[in-house]
Amino acid sequence: MKWLLNFLKGKWLKHPLHPIIVHVPMAMWPSALIFDLLSRWNGNVMVRLSFYAIIFGLVASLLAVPSGLVDWSDVKKEKPAWKIGLYHMILNLVVALLFAINLGLRIHTFREAIIVAGAPLALSIIGTVLLIGSAYLGGLMVYDYGISVGRMSKKKWRGIAKAGGANLPAE
Amino acid sequence: MLKDFLEGKPLRHPLHPFLVHFPIGLFILSLLLDLASLGFPSVPNLVRDAFYAMLLGIITALIAAVPGLVDYTDIRSDHPGKRTATTHLTLNLVVVGLYGINLGVRSSTLDQLKTPVAPLVLSLVGIALLSVSGYLGGRLVYDEGTSVGRHKRRTPTPEDTLHLAVELGEDKRADTIVVPIPEAESLGEKETLRVQIDGQVIAIAKLAGNFYAFQEFCTHRFGPLSEGSVQDFNVQCPWHSSCFDVRTGKVTQGPAKVDLKTFKMERRDGKICIDVPRAKSRDPHDQET
Repeated sequence: MKWLLNFLKGKWLKHPLHPIIVHVPMAMWPSALIFDLLSRWNGNVMVRLSFYAIIFGLVASLLAVPSGLVDWSDVKKEKPAWKIGLYHMILNLVVALLFAINLGLRIHTFREAIIVAGAPLALSIIGTVLLIGSAYLGGLMVYDYGISVGRMSKKKWRGIAKAGGANLPAE
Repeated sequence: MLKDFLEGKPLRHPLHPFLVHFPIGLFILSLLLDLASLGFPSVPNLVRDAFYAMLLGIITALIAAVPGLVDYTDIRSDHPGKRTATTHLTLNLVVVGLYGINLGVRSSTLDQLKTPVAPLVLSLVGIALLSVSGYLGGRLVYDEGTSVGRHKRRTPTPEDTLHLAVELGEDKRADTIVVPIPEAESLGEKETLRVQIDGQVIAIAKLAGNFYAFQEFCTHRFGPLSEGSVQDFNVQCPWHSSCFDVRTGKVTQGPAKVDLKTFKMERRDGKICIDVPRAKSRDPHDQET
């Protein structure tokens, strides 16, 4: 089990795994909305491209969920970042569900349709708005609260601080 | 003002790492569609879809490059992550160049059922280089702390470390040395210097007209305090918001638990000076040798 945790936390990469994986849904779902809108000019080419983008995003989110969960479990409950992480997770689950429904709505028509219908288009818009909000919360955890920052480089920086004559905590 | 916007300070979040999600995701999607066109040539429009995914990837990559360049210029020139950042920047320019060529090469073959070999190879090389470059970009954040907590700082951060030479006074065996720091004269309120004297790395902050000197590295995960924000006699680490009293070095807010080393600042003969213990007197093991 330990190897699985280390894999999901990205220790083997010396880089947290979750922020890498989420590039895919984060790119795919807003792009799907752009392709939905472009279907008005470029017909079935864009209808199909949007469909593929939604699928790719959903597949990647299957790995994004467990890797995000293990990162979140490392945040102490009394920290403000814990609550942000909770909202981030709930929003992401809603967004993934919305795009799964979205995919279901277009799965029978994407081969022939030359325009994306109202309902899936609306789901793409709502999903994208919520996703950007959620991704922003995820980014705040890193850039405002420093989650995962310096976690895997502690040894390196300790060496640099020691060489620089700093007071150090016990190892 | 424009620089603050491009660094995402009003958002409390840098723009570059947000925008790069798009080229990374879209270039991978484009390659997957290329591969799908080889496996399922009967599915229409895969070649065209790969083209459009790439086109949007290039457009978003060019947009992402602007705040990326601004972020790059903000990294202290002797920071250990600067080289990583230079490699990241160079690789990204190569990748975008390759995709520009790739797009041109495939633009005349959009009616084919399978993506031809030349653009496919360009995409494979592009993804390989992009993976390395994206990884380096991530290391800049998670390893080097680039742009983490940067928005909390209202004043410019030190562009360089000042390396001050040690001039021994009359007593060559003195335990402390007094080093004048002329650069401190031009320091603005709530601004900092990063200096290195006799191996020791020290942050100097100006607060309410007075100068305070303390160790550069936070005692939690060793974040750079010369890039932290100073307020009410406190310095806050940009990484995890530990706070220390600049007068005493005492921890005033965790996660850090260990106090900072502080140094005495004084005026001598009208010059701003810092009192630094000799490196030799710091470590008993060194004294023996």
